Amino acid sequence: MRSAALLLRKDLRLLARTPAVLLILIVFPLLVATLVALALQSDERRPDVAVVNLDTSGRSVAVGEQRLSIDDYIARLSEDVDVRPLGAEEAAAALEDGRVSAVLTIPAGFISDLQSGVRQPSLTLDASRRSPIEADAIVRNLEAAVYRLNQRLAVGYVDQVLRLVDLVVNGGELGFFGRTGDALGLRNSRVLVTGVQERLRADGQVAAADDLDPLVNFIDETQRNLDLAKPAANAIRAPIVLEVSESAEGREPLSAFGFAGALLVSLGLAGVLLAAAAMSAEREDQVLVRLGRGLVSAWTLVAEKMVFTALACLVVGLTLLAGVAAFTSVAVGRWPLWLAALALAGLAFGAFGVLAGALARETRTALLVALMLALPLLALGLLPDAAVASAISQVVPFGPAFEAFQTLLVEPTVPAGDFTTTLGHLALLAAVFGAAAAAVVRRRSAA
Amino acid sequence: MLAARGLGRRYRGVVALEGVDVDLGAGESVALIGPNGAGKTTLLTILAGVTRATTGGVEWAGGAVRTVGWVPQRPALYQRLTPRENLRLFAGLEKAPDPDALADELIARADLGAFADRPAATLSTGTIQRLNLAIALAGRPSVLLLDEPTATLSPDQRHRLWEWLGTLREEGMALLFSTQSVDEAMRRADRMLVLTGGRLLFSGTSQEMVSAHGIGAGADAEAAELAFMRLVAPGEGDT
Repeated sequence: MRSAALLLRKDLRLLARTPAVLLILIVFPLLVATLVALALQSDERRPDVAVVNLDTSGRSVAVGEQRLSIDDYIARLSEDVDVRPLGAEEAAAALEDGRVSAVLTIPAGFISDLQSGVRQPSLTLDASRRSPIEADAIVRNLEAAVYRLNQRLAVGYVDQVLRLVDLVVNGGELGFFGRTGDALGLRNSRVLVTGVQERLRADGQVAAADDLDPLVNFIDETQRNLDLAKPAANAIRAPIVLEVSESAEGREPLSAFGFAGALLVSLGLAGVLLAAAAMSAEREDQVLVRLGRGLVSAWTLVAEKMVFTALACLVVGLTLLAGVAAFTSVAVGRWPLWLAALALAGLAFGAFGVLAGALARETRTALLVALMLALPLLALGLLPDAAVASAISQVVPFGPAFEAFQTLLVEPTVPAGDFTTTLGHLALLAAVFGAAAAAVVRRRSAA
Repeated sequence: MLAARGLGRRYRGVVALEGVDVDLGAGESVALIGPNGAGKTTLLTILAGVTRATTGGVEWAGGAVRTVGWVPQRPALYQRLTPRENLRLFAGLEKAPDPDALADELIARADLGAFADRPAATLSTGTIQRLNLAIALAGRPSVLLLDEPTATLSPDQRHRLWEWLGTLREEGMALLFSTQSVDEAMRRADRMLVLTGGRLLFSGTSQEMVSAHGIGAGADAEAAELAFMRLVAPGEGDT
């Protein structure tokens, strides 16, 4: 224990004495975190979409109080994608060349179909098959755009129907769905019918007046039912209302997934490289032969390097988390759990790096080996849904570390059992890689 | 202080050392001499407890390998630490009661005072070698094993190092050092162990080696070198 503490103090002193490494240790994770977060912000990316407008009528449709034209529709699409108005052939060529990710075609007669109120207009989307992930994102973006437009149209149509209902009840000037004229309305009809009844009764034609009673009842019943139309129509046009509150000012949007990935890449690389360099430096300085003579056991030396890496990961990880909590919209909390996750991930990254460092003969080779091993495995850790990638990432520390970071960032409540299993997984991998590294160090010490 | 019997070592079937016996008494200086690949370093690393012998065994004074100080040919120390930090660290690892005091003492003995607080990487070869030796003394050994300690040193650095080693001998420390120089072995050792092909060919004084080969009376450096060549490569030294 005392030997490990002495070596740990030595490593921390050497680290502090190397400002370039210290700077890299701080700047590099921040840089990587920023790049990875940006790369993983798929929901923030705006794909290029060619729009082919075959409806050249120049007409517009009345939607409630507003009128909607093709230009309005294209302007609204621009909220979700970068729109490039092109001709049909030009758009097909752009899709083929990869200059646009999809082609949206607005058919001829789109506005008139919309105006008819009975014919359902349709749009055609042709997405690139080169990148299924991007195509999927575009389809989702345009579905959202069409949904929002439909929502606006539904609101407009329902308003029109309600005004029609009002016209049926109260009467007035007719001007919907391209029709014009005057409407009498139920209220006026009742006045007319009851007036006729009064005159008939005054003339002694009581039986004839009574014959009109079913008509008056019908008018009253219809009027009562139509009074219910308004709340019913409101319920139909928006069955569920989502109220979105805006986040505090000055914060940049950043997805929790993106940050979990950034944290994994920055800590994974920094931890593995630091541990590999620290271990290989012992070999490069020829000190292993001295330490191996009963001064320090191989396992103590490996454990010391693991703790050294875990300390560095804790400092870097907590700095990144504090930065994210202060300047982004990602919610960061549950600090005791973060401490456990970062420490165990640091120990596991350290064990992995020490193994790479022990296998290589000198520091530069060790760093290269560590980098070449860590980069592809980190990438696999970020693709947990792919079966093979998932299987591989689970036998190295990157998969469970990513799970732990994601759980703490994404899950509103951390499921105790699952999270403990993930931490246990990290601890197990730290022990396995640490034991492998100790075996290699033991061989190297005796070489 | 140190006794080894029948030491042998094989590396993937290749014999590096075979049936070597070594005895070392207090204050004795013994030179291990032989051509490249003779097995000198293998023998020293086995005696230092760095390499495990395939056959035979070693008895260290007090039964612990830590009573032996090990000075490898390539300095084994932290290049980015200063001599003082290196000595404090190794004194701590050797569980010295007061590592700082021991480090100061070793700095004085190795005449490292002027360089004690400069990174080791910036020091001259001779100074580094003195630090390498000082670190080996941090465990207060009674036997010192040195692998070609003067191979990379200039004549004045070599002289300075031997002066210090002479002082250690006078204090009762036993030395076993390897060298490729017959002259150095004659002048610095009480007796020689001649090793070639992993086998011990001769153990005795330089005079005994010379007379054993009928080169003549006395034991000057030239005669000893001729006797050595006849030992390690019979026929090639008869010119």
